[in-house]
Amino acid sequence: MTSGIVFDIKEFTVHDGPGVRTTVFLKGCPLACMWCHNPEGQSMQPQVIRSLSGDRVAGSEYSARELAILLNQQAAILRANDGGITFSGGEPLFQAEFVSEVIDALDDLHVVLDTSGYGSSEDFLLLLARSDLVFYDLKLINRELHLYYTGFDNGLILNNLQLLSESGKPFIIRVPLIPGVTDTDENLTAIVKTVGKLPGLVEVNFLPYNRAAGSKYQYAGMEFKPDYDEKRPLNINTKIFEQAGLKVKST
Amino acid sequence: MNERVVFLKHRIRTGEHKVLRQGKSIDLLEECEKEGLSWTRRAARLVHRQCEAERVVFEPEERIVFTRTVPGVPPVYSAVDWSRLTAGRTLHELGPVSNICADWDLLLSQGLLGRREVAVNTHSRLEGDASAVEFLDSAVETIDAVLELASRYAEQASLLCRDDLAAVLESVPAHPAHSFREALQSLRMCQAVVWLGGNYHVGLGRFDQYMWPFLQSDLQAGFLTIPDAEELLAEFFISLNKDSDLYPGVQQGDNGQSMTLGGVKSNGSPAINELTKMVLRIACDLELIDPKINLRISPQTDLELLCLASELTRKGLGFPQYSNDDVVIPALVAHGYDLEDARDYVVAACWEFIIPGRGMEIVNSGAVSFPAAVDQAIRVGLSDGMEFDDILSRTAENIRAQVNHLGEVYSRLLLPPTPYYSVFMRGCLEQGHDLSEGLKYNNFGIHGACSANAADALAAVKQFVFDEHSLSAEEVLSALQANFEGYESLRRKLGEEGPKVGSNDDRADALLVNLFEDFAAACEDYGLTPRGGILRPGTGSAMYYIWLASGHEGMREPVVEATADGRVSGEPFSANLAPSPGVRVRGPISTLQSFSKIDFHRVCNGGPITMELSDSVFRNPESIRKVAMLVRIFAQLGCQQLQLNSLNVETLLDAKAHPEKHKNLIVRVWGWSGYFCELAPEYQDHIIARSLYQVE
Repeated sequence: MTSGIVFDIKEFTVHDGPGVRTTVFLKGCPLACMWCHNPEGQSMQPQVIRSLSGDRVAGSEYSARELAILLNQQAAILRANDGGITFSGGEPLFQAEFVSEVIDALDDLHVVLDTSGYGSSEDFLLLLARSDLVFYDLKLINRELHLYYTGFDNGLILNNLQLLSESGKPFIIRVPLIPGVTDTDENLTAIVKTVGKLPGLVEVNFLPYNRAAGSKYQYAGMEFKPDYDEKRPLNINTKIFEQAGLKVKST
Repeated sequence: MNERVVFLKHRIRTGEHKVLRQGKSIDLLEECEKEGLSWTRRAARLVHRQCEAERVVFEPEERIVFTRTVPGVPPVYSAVDWSRLTAGRTLHELGPVSNICADWDLLLSQGLLGRREVAVNTHSRLEGDASAVEFLDSAVETIDAVLELASRYAEQASLLCRDDLAAVLESVPAHPAHSFREALQSLRMCQAVVWLGGNYHVGLGRFDQYMWPFLQSDLQAGFLTIPDAEELLAEFFISLNKDSDLYPGVQQGDNGQSMTLGGVKSNGSPAINELTKMVLRIACDLELIDPKINLRISPQTDLELLCLASELTRKGLGFPQYSNDDVVIPALVAHGYDLEDARDYVVAACWEFIIPGRGMEIVNSGAVSFPAAVDQAIRVGLSDGMEFDDILSRTAENIRAQVNHLGEVYSRLLLPPTPYYSVFMRGCLEQGHDLSEGLKYNNFGIHGACSANAADALAAVKQFVFDEHSLSAEEVLSALQANFEGYESLRRKLGEEGPKVGSNDDRADALLVNLFEDFAAACEDYGLTPRGGILRPGTGSAMYYIWLASGHEGMREPVVEATADGRVSGEPFSANLAPSPGVRVRGPISTLQSFSKIDFHRVCNGGPITMELSDSVFRNPESIRKVAMLVRIFAQLGCQQLQLNSLNVETLLDAKAHPEKHKNLIVRVWGWSGYFCELAPEYQDHIIARSLYQVE
């Protein structure tokens, strides 16, 4: 049985999918987005988080079986309240085998996969087959900008997006709005062009930039170095999507 | 809210009406002494003279009138006589009857004249019974005093050409109410006079039940539209906030003006109606500390109603508080309540379940200090080399000793006669006896306070000293004795690595369950009190989460120093059913699962699971619906009572630093809500600390 590393298991995550859900945050992500709001999710190593409410270690190892048993303790409650489990991160694709084994051992629970899409096609298909709904992040369509802001180009991401659409599974595109970076009309237009005609697309969600994210870095002993202007007002341009006939929400 | 309502609310919040208050209280002593009045007569005379001293006040624009102008409640005995009268007896809190609930339907359906007639008839039937005659004469004296006060209001209204108001006041409270407006006016005046007589925590009962027939017939007849009714209701709620600062309580806002909505009727059919929803909506619009709202639910309750209630939770007022009929009603029946009465339960000032008009219960007769019981057992056990089971037995003995002590203290209870309040209780006027002599239910309630810290302390000792042997008894004892000074890593181990209540961890939860089993057994074994009632165990902690940690003048329980759950001396304990402060738990569902393990059929005095949710949880209708689902999960899991709070830690910190900017910030304190800036600093700090561990 595979084991994996998790940096948090949060109950009652009201913004992570339908109904009453628990979200598992997998630790470790290949990307290093400049605006990442879960910096403790980047490294796979356990980290000490020092905050107002004391110190704690983020990162615990579970066997797939252990984690499934833990999650199944609330299966009846989650099912009775239209919910289930959301796998987020970090990046669940980074521990795809572990996550797939956990899902296989779940007691008939609705699964949301919350992913950046950055992973091999094999890993992506492994988890896609086991998910009921996918939250798929699209940050930047321009290849060079993607490389600059996240550390990698978006080839794998756009490729997996194609596989996702072909699978027939419902999915929601989530766009983190970073001032002057992802919220430009140019980028938003490119996103519309990329996803507009894809079957299976339920809606597009904007995730407006949260300036509080930066404060988490110091608690995790990391440095926050944005090279964009955090204070610049966001361009929450939902019209570009609506004009293309897409449903869009800003949370 | 329309402009009138905004204006009326603003006037109350800025306290403009307070300039109408009289400078000093009336003096009754000379009169009482001269006439050689009995205690019952004095109690009646007090109500009589207080009503007489009231000045008639019509606030601009208002339609539900009565503004208290008499500031205080004067004594009816001199200090010397009072101490002679009460020598060797136990007074509950301040002395006067408090924290019970009238059957307000008696007032609305019969009017004060109807109640007077009952008294007069009984009087002629019991002519030879001196004590009955005296009680009935006293009750009539109070009724006449209120009638006289109402006529002065009516006359003044006529003089001012407020004909609508004059008509209402000529009708009520003398006669049965004929309309929603009359019913609200009658209740306002008669409930306010209970406070004038020195009684406090004056409950409002099943408001959506006894008020609904009046509203329903007004709506059907076309006398009122829904918006008209909402406006009247808002005015009534505003009137309940006029005199808050004159009410006695541990902290301002702790005044027990609670109402209970929903649930089932006494025949078991669903009781939710349009007024239930209207109350929730209006409370949401007004954002005032009174009335405090309790909502009776079950696993079958409509999710839409729970959504409406969650909208109210979002306001951060700390209510509604929920109770689960499927658990509460059978528990009351198991403790000797008739099924029809149990179905009619309401929640007292904080959380205790009582029966309106039928209970003269002292539901908060002190608390068992679980931390004291456990801490003593751990210290003795560790120093005497006991086994863990012996520590548990010692804990049970300590709990039993505390219960017996409280039972003994309250066996000497002295309740002052209360003829006016008796008018609204079942059977008092009918049988010629004062409510202080007892009603149908006469039980005492005891809270089991600060249970999570106590269970965590036991769990840590079991885990580290007895199961793993990773700590020695001597180490733990020395650390406790040193208040963990020089033992920081040991303190962290106890505080952070031990099993904790609130995470659905049986290692800790089983010990929590055990504490309540021991507590329930001690209460059951105690048997009947001299008032013919039982001791009801509960799960609340009121102000004890602060008092037991740092002491309080006149407190009967010992202050508990450092405890084996890693808590240093002076830090507050957990409030009601909540994880210990500072403990990071798995989440709200796990917390509900932990507390659902308690046998609530044996522990029926009430005391809520208390949870803080960040205000970000309430961002949109979809997430509010999930809060409603969380409430439903509480009921589905078979828990008894739930208090949800919405908090924002930045707001609280800013309010502490700049109180002038946050005068209207309301928070739940223990069983009640008050203005944050009017709380003592230690209570403010506890609320801030609680919110650091909230659900995001």
